[in-house]
Amino acid sequence: MGVADTKRDLAANKMIYDVRRDASLYQNFTENFESIMEDYGLSEAERQAFRDRDIKRLSELGVHPYFLPQISRLFHGGTYNHNKSVAAQAYGESMVKTKGNPH
Amino acid sequence: MADLVFVAGLSHAPGLTGWLDQAPPREQKALTDGFNQLGELLRASEPDLIIGLANDHLLNMPLHDLHDFCVGTAGKWNGPAEWFRDWVNVAPYNVPGAPETAHIMFEEVAKRNFDVTSKSELLFDDNWSVPLKYLTPEYDIPLLPIHMNCVVPPVPDPEHCYAFGKAVREIIENKLPANLRVAFMGTGGLSHDPGGPKYFDVNEEFDRWFLDLLAEGDPDKVIRECTMDKMIAAGDGGTSELIAWIAAMGTVEHREAKIVCYEPAVELRCGMGCVYWDMETEAVDV
Repeated sequence: MGVADTKRDLAANKMIYDVRRDASLYQNFTENFESIMEDYGLSEAERQAFRDRDIKRLSELGVHPYFLPQISRLFHGGTYNHNKSVAAQAYGESMVKTKGNPH
Repeated sequence: MADLVFVAGLSHAPGLTGWLDQAPPREQKALTDGFNQLGELLRASEPDLIIGLANDHLLNMPLHDLHDFCVGTAGKWNGPAEWFRDWVNVAPYNVPGAPETAHIMFEEVAKRNFDVTSKSELLFDDNWSVPLKYLTPEYDIPLLPIHMNCVVPPVPDPEHCYAFGKAVREIIENKLPANLRVAFMGTGGLSHDPGGPKYFDVNEEFDRWFLDLLAEGDPDKVIRECTMDKMIAAGDGGTSELIAWIAAMGTVEHREAKIVCYEPAVELRCGMGCVYWDMETEAVDV
């Protein structure tokens, strides 16, 4: 999956675009994302991928690659985001763990 | 007629300010020295204004309303946008804008049939926060930011971006106030793949090839050889930010880029480097 596979009209893409711009959305995202997903009309597949923090699945559904590490940072924080940081590791593990998983 | 006094291309990846200490000490020093040197060169050219061109990173132009270019017209900018502040690890800053010049730039670019919009509000992430921290640490030189779409196909290709740079040069020289001293910087790259399969990789071979190509000073060859496909192969989600450097090349005519520094910074998840074009020397006639 790459940038060319992005689904421009995917609700998850619209949601993440807005979330990073709006403190009322990114603050406490982990606690609030279920209701935010409802507000943005995400499909059940998109919602389950967020609940599972399944970055690979979000990629397969058409989330823009640029948003994927940002989603990991929304859940795990973005400070000191080096390769061994929780957010970067969670991204990497999700991409590997679910590889080939047909869902 | 305004003067283009300095032109640069430089990386803006957030590791340079956010977690540089994770890189090997030699690499930390080479990058810090190189980016500081670029800042000294920029400030020595005594610009009244910096025109910057960089990836919007899907932060200000939504997927349903993308344009190739977006001119920022505010009188004052601030950054980093709050959600990015800890990540990029740059303290909040204000930098003056250039609204009158920005409106001229927007109107003149639009007249030349580029796909351009303008916005009086833009969130800044690493695209400006990292370059400004090194180049103008006092945030005292006005910035005219131009955001661009580098990562949602179709993106403006190298030939188009080169033409954009040439148009910007022509607008600077013919439409901006006399005696205004203008610097231009294209930021982004080098090889990296945010969120893609090469997220943790750097393609040093591509990066060194690209820098050497710019150093040859032959824009036709750059456009011919540095194709979108080649950039995408070196990192799908980020390497194409180098179209901002190719636009910078469009502003300089036939001049050779001077390479200031380069490091294949795996710990920063990005090939990092910077170049400049010496505008004091005469361009080569071809």
